[in-house]
Amino acid sequence: MNASRTDPDPTADGGQTAHVVDLRGVCHSFSGTPAVTDLDLQLESGELYGLVGPDGAGKSTAIRMLTGLLAPDRGEGWVCGHSIRRPSRALRQAIGYMPQQYSLYGDLSIDENLDFFGHLFGLPRQQRRERKSRLLSITRLEPFRSRRACDLSGGMYKKLALSCALLHQPRLLVLDEPTNGVDPVSRRELWDLLYEFVDEGMAVLLSSPYMDEAARCHRVGLLDRGRLLAEGEPTRLIERFVHRTFLLRITGRHQVEDLIGAQPGVLALSPEGGDIRAVVRQPEAAGFRQWATSHAFTVRIEPVAPTFEDVFLGLLKDPAAIEERGGA
Amino acid sequence: MKGFLTRVTAITVKEAAHILRDPRVMIFALVLPVLLLLLFGYAISFDVDHIPLVVVDQDQTNASRNLVESFTSGDLFEIKARRSTVDQVEPLFRSGLARAALVIPEEFTRRLAGGREPSVQLLLDGSDNNTATVALGYAGVVALEVSRRQMPTSLSREGAPISAQIRTFFNPGLRSSAFIVPGLTAVILTMIATMLTALTVSREIEQGSMEQLFTTPVSRLEIVVGKVCPYFLLGLVAVLLVLTAGVAMFSVPVAGSLWLLFGVSALFLLAMFIQGLFISVATRRQALASQLAFITTMLPALLLSGFVFPIDNMPWPLQFLARALPPSYFIHAIRAVLLRGNGVEAILRDSLAILLFFGVFLLLTVRRFRRALN
Amino acid sequence: MNRPAISVDGLTRRFGRFVAVDGVSFEVSKGEIFGYLGANGAGKSTTIRMLCGLLRPSAGRAVVNGHDVVKHTWEVKRSIGYMSQKFSLYLDLTVQENLQFFAGAYGLRGQLLSQRLEHALELALLTDRRNVLTGALPGGIRQRLALASALLHQPPIVFLDEPTAGVSPDARRAFWRTIRQLAHEGTTLFVTTHTLDEAEHCHRVGLMAEGRLVALDTPAELKRRHVPGALFTLHPAGGRSKELLAKLRQLEGVLEAQPFGHRLHLRIAAERDEAWLASLLEQVGFGEVGFDRTEPTLEDVFLQVAKEGAAATEGR
Repeated sequence: MNASRTDPDPTADGGQTAHVVDLRGVCHSFSGTPAVTDLDLQLESGELYGLVGPDGAGKSTAIRMLTGLLAPDRGEGWVCGHSIRRPSRALRQAIGYMPQQYSLYGDLSIDENLDFFGHLFGLPRQQRRERKSRLLSITRLEPFRSRRACDLSGGMYKKLALSCALLHQPRLLVLDEPTNGVDPVSRRELWDLLYEFVDEGMAVLLSSPYMDEAARCHRVGLLDRGRLLAEGEPTRLIERFVHRTFLLRITGRHQVEDLIGAQPGVLALSPEGGDIRAVVRQPEAAGFRQWATSHAFTVRIEPVAPTFEDVFLGLLKDPAAIEERGGA
Repeated sequence: MKGFLTRVTAITVKEAAHILRDPRVMIFALVLPVLLLLLFGYAISFDVDHIPLVVVDQDQTNASRNLVESFTSGDLFEIKARRSTVDQVEPLFRSGLARAALVIPEEFTRRLAGGREPSVQLLLDGSDNNTATVALGYAGVVALEVSRRQMPTSLSREGAPISAQIRTFFNPGLRSSAFIVPGLTAVILTMIATMLTALTVSREIEQGSMEQLFTTPVSRLEIVVGKVCPYFLLGLVAVLLVLTAGVAMFSVPVAGSLWLLFGVSALFLLAMFIQGLFISVATRRQALASQLAFITTMLPALLLSGFVFPIDNMPWPLQFLARALPPSYFIHAIRAVLLRGNGVEAILRDSLAILLFFGVFLLLTVRRFRRALN
Repeated sequence: MNRPAISVDGLTRRFGRFVAVDGVSFEVSKGEIFGYLGANGAGKSTTIRMLCGLLRPSAGRAVVNGHDVVKHTWEVKRSIGYMSQKFSLYLDLTVQENLQFFAGAYGLRGQLLSQRLEHALELALLTDRRNVLTGALPGGIRQRLALASALLHQPPIVFLDEPTAGVSPDARRAFWRTIRQLAHEGTTLFVTTHTLDEAEHCHRVGLMAEGRLVALDTPAELKRRHVPGALFTLHPAGGRSKELLAKLRQLEGVLEAQPFGHRLHLRIAAERDEAWLASLLEQVGFGEVGFDRTEPTLEDVFLQVAKEGAAATEGR
């Protein structure tokens, strides 16, 4: 395979470090409906990147373009210098991919599934054995190695899928909604594993519909309707959020809630314990607080630090909810 | 293409595991064909016998009784009822109790004795076309026999009667099973081969593992080749079973080389597998794939292959279609080897046609594969 | 009318040798939002199916709206609404046609039917889109329609099996507001979910693991009881978090330390405070690291409960 020779080398200009992932203005439409529009994305080794957004935001499309499963309509992208437009063997060797849905063979055992992927990636016997036993031990799947994949619990299945994606030691690990349908204990285990591989220098890109999960990433991109609304470190994104969040304690909640929701500037309302969390546009925040205080149903109102989910909901309603870095 | 063999082997081994672990596949591939052969072999028979006959003997003489005797001496007719008038025949036809009626008029003996041509009526239920045709032919022969025996005078006057002597080559007993079993073999192989592979790719696309495969260095050709291999082996076993069953149970004569038979069956299997794979790749959904596999293989194999209806008698668009599909060539070849004992040179054209089909569909399948996931 | 809406005692269901639900007991009172939480395969759907009379219990007893689910299956079915995980709507019918169909299935006719139909359309916020094909609606709105159709016969108890799976965050919030409104009006809601932040909306939460009910209480009480100590988020400077993590894990008084993006999550014993943590960081050479106090989540609860369960199993 000579793909790496013919592909344009993104490091050629300027000589800066090669990105593990480098997407430039990538677009894809399904029969005229844009799924991903002008996506720019760079990822370095040892970085854990989360692509976050609601269902249908274009996360899976972006991931499938990145892994060479789907050709972009426009734009270009490279993974470790290999073009994603014409997926070469070298590109596939560079990527480990764990799809969202069940993608292994249910009637094959853990061992057989691992061997199968080991063969496809052309691993010599010795290497295959070593890596297999290491992955089985860190995922604690060793005792179950002859169990069929269809008899594994959701969490164990995901760990097996992860192992299959890691067997050829890719430089980039791509996971499409890895924690979907996984119990919290396995979820935590999965995250611990990911941190371990990232520490070893692997680049990890994952997608998630859960905001609390985004906060675990080094860097997140918020995707909505195919566009990247904002990108950055989760804590920095929260710092750059321009709107305000309040926690309200009210009486007769259910009639009042609609009233609150209809106030000018209110971007999102959500329950939190017995209270209500309200995200309010910055210019209307003072007015909102005054309005709430002046009504008898308000027991208490206090400003609180926004969470990542507040930021996301704010961004959905107002694309300018995040301060430009330069202006900050 | 470094590692081609490793990857193909990996796919083959995996696919073989699926097959071995799914009892339904084994039943479908090995038990069903033999079962179908038995079922169809006994059910589809063009041999006609024991036609229910009603006799209307208005003459009631020795001569007329002799005539009835001659009619029913073989296995072809079986007397179910006797009636005295022709009017009573139709209700019997309607109720299905009789499908033929022999009507001997009152003046039969008188005319016979008077040297005038005696006329006998044979009434047939035309709704069963095949039975009627056979009965008619047989009746003609019987009538000729009888007239020769009973009318020596007229014969001596007009010289020797023309006796048609028919001899059939290759299938001396004209037993239809010898003719049907090879055709049935083709139909059964067509069906199981396409059905088996029609599901493999669509199943993987549906369950999502195809996406995972496509992110590994395996190529489309490797997937196709790797997937066909284990099914091919399974198919060969099925061929052996069906041929053995055919020979053992229907005493189909084996005039030619068994190896040649096996070889051409293997080639045909490959063509059918690739057709199944193409359907799988093109439809991407299991339910649709199995339906399409059934319609696009079973029907042509039954109707357009020359199995039941001779291709030369079809209107030209159907002839064209029949000649574009492998079953017609396979049936031609297998009959040639099995019944006529022909060698390679006689089936070369058929084999090349099947090979061409295989090549074209292999190409189409691999090309189509790319878009299968989008 | 003080009897509970749902009362379950020792409910068990076996499939062959596999015990899907194992001796579960609880009560749900009228107007309560009861969250039933657990991983896929923990026994949530099996429980719901038994409570709806779709599946016979192997052992134990369940009474729904005063009716025994085994003896009086019909009465149970008449007093409940059920919204399944999978879509129960016909995508090739319009919104109104779907509602009409389900209303017919519940035996509604004439004046009552049209009245309930309008009510359902309002609830689903689809009054102006009644003639739209259901398949053309986004997932979140379809979900609301499915809920409205499960409420057509105004059942006192509604079972929702993973109602917000695959729905966007804002649609999910709107959905939960509807649910809380229903509860306020006196409807009892039994909701299964596997997302922990969603369980925060429930009045009480039952945690299922391997067929057993391992914890049951209000979210706040669950956190207080199962996640003792104080939680902090630490902000180490780039690159040093791994080193700090390793050090912290060896220290006494540190109950748990986890990486969290570039930050660390730390739980320390309840009797320790901010000052103790500051001196601790100083002591291991990370005095410059900033931290803030955080609140436990239900995920923390779940992890602790699972850990306690594992310890209990090993102890046996």
